Amino acid sequence: MDEDTDDILNNIIDDDDDANIQMTPAELIQKMEEIWINEKFAPELLPHEQEIVDLVLSQISAMEDNVETLPSADFKKGFYQLEIDRIRFVVTSYLRQRLEKIETYVLHVLKEDEEREEAYLSEAEQQFALKYKEALEEHFDNATMFYPGLPFEDWKSNFVRPNMNSFVFLKAKSNVEGVVVDRGQGDDNEIVDIKAGSQMLISYKGVSDLIKKGDLRLI
Amino acid sequence: MFGEKAYLLIKELDRNRDSLPPYNTELLSEIHNEVKQLVTENQEDANVSEQSRLVENVSYVPTLKIRHAAIKRNIRCILAYHYNRLKCLKTIRWQFGSILPPEVKANLSQAEIDFFSKYSSSLMQYMRGIGDDGGVNLAVNLKPPKSLYIEVRCVVDYGQLELSDGSALLLKKNSRHHLPRTECEELIRQGVLEHVV
Repeated sequence: MDEDTDDILNNIIDDDDDANIQMTPAELIQKMEEIWINEKFAPELLPHEQEIVDLVLSQISAMEDNVETLPSADFKKGFYQLEIDRIRFVVTSYLRQRLEKIETYVLHVLKEDEEREEAYLSEAEQQFALKYKEALEEHFDNATMFYPGLPFEDWKSNFVRPNMNSFVFLKAKSNVEGVVVDRGQGDDNEIVDIKAGSQMLISYKGVSDLIKKGDLRLI
Repeated sequence: MFGEKAYLLIKELDRNRDSLPPYNTELLSEIHNEVKQLVTENQEDANVSEQSRLVENVSYVPTLKIRHAAIKRNIRCILAYHYNRLKCLKTIRWQFGSILPPEVKANLSQAEIDFFSKYSSSLMQYMRGIGDDGGVNLAVNLKPPKSLYIEVRCVVDYGQLELSDGSALLLKKNSRHHLPRTECEELIRQGVLEHVV
């Protein structure tokens, strides 16, 4: 089935050449699935992959146009429709996950993004986060400002933070050296080397940079 | 006892986990009164403490601390109440779309209705912004699609339904249909159709 999909896609994907990333459609979909699963299992918001999302969306619309041209009685049409639906589900689930994380950790995410150079939020997400934060602040101020002189500013200073120490399953794509495993209590932090292809359960804090770089992926 | 009414507020939320009970204005105003009383008492005692420091060294600091802790606890419960109602409201938005059914609307306070409209509009704006033409509606495909066609049964009398390939279907109560998933998903969420496994 994937070969048929590739056939349809290869006929139309020529506009990928002007993007900086050159991938075959199958690779693109696999990359999309990978960032989808990474986003699902990571406790914090990962950098946005706007280009990949855009590429996948343009692929979906191209596939839809192609499917329209097939005769309705052709049973292959059903398969292509299903494939389109599945890919669309992956993209929407990815975007929904990000929105959920933004909403839960809105103050933390906005503050971090200001301090970082490369923003983890796309522009549209940034606008959404700001509006959401304003709406939330207004609602809470309404709820608590019923008497002057109350200690109602506390909630703005105590952010809801994602739990960086939560454990994640991961799989290594390439050889990684020098991952610091923080024991927490003692000072004896272990340094671990991870071989390519191995799978392990580890605290998120030590590996967050590597996941963002792409050497490891969550499963 | 301080904070009892706030506890009742949270218990009420706990009893209706997924649905929104009516906005409990009376309990909230009772808690407001309690907090106001505590604050005024605290201020009086703080003044007395301040003045008497020079004369007798009477200090009400422990009382002040207890009252302050009670005030903070009440405010925390109030905020938790509001926040959890907002969470419920957001799930409702994702389920039903931007128009609230009237039963839900009757249970909301004015501030919550404002929040809902703001949230709805910023969500719509975000959805329009992704993708190149027209944006992507994120509210469809909430579950991974398992098959293309699904068997549904009509729960209420809906009338004519026009499918995307042009054919029309009459939806009467208790009629069963075998329809493509994309057509039915919206209606299933609204409650017009029911998925038959």
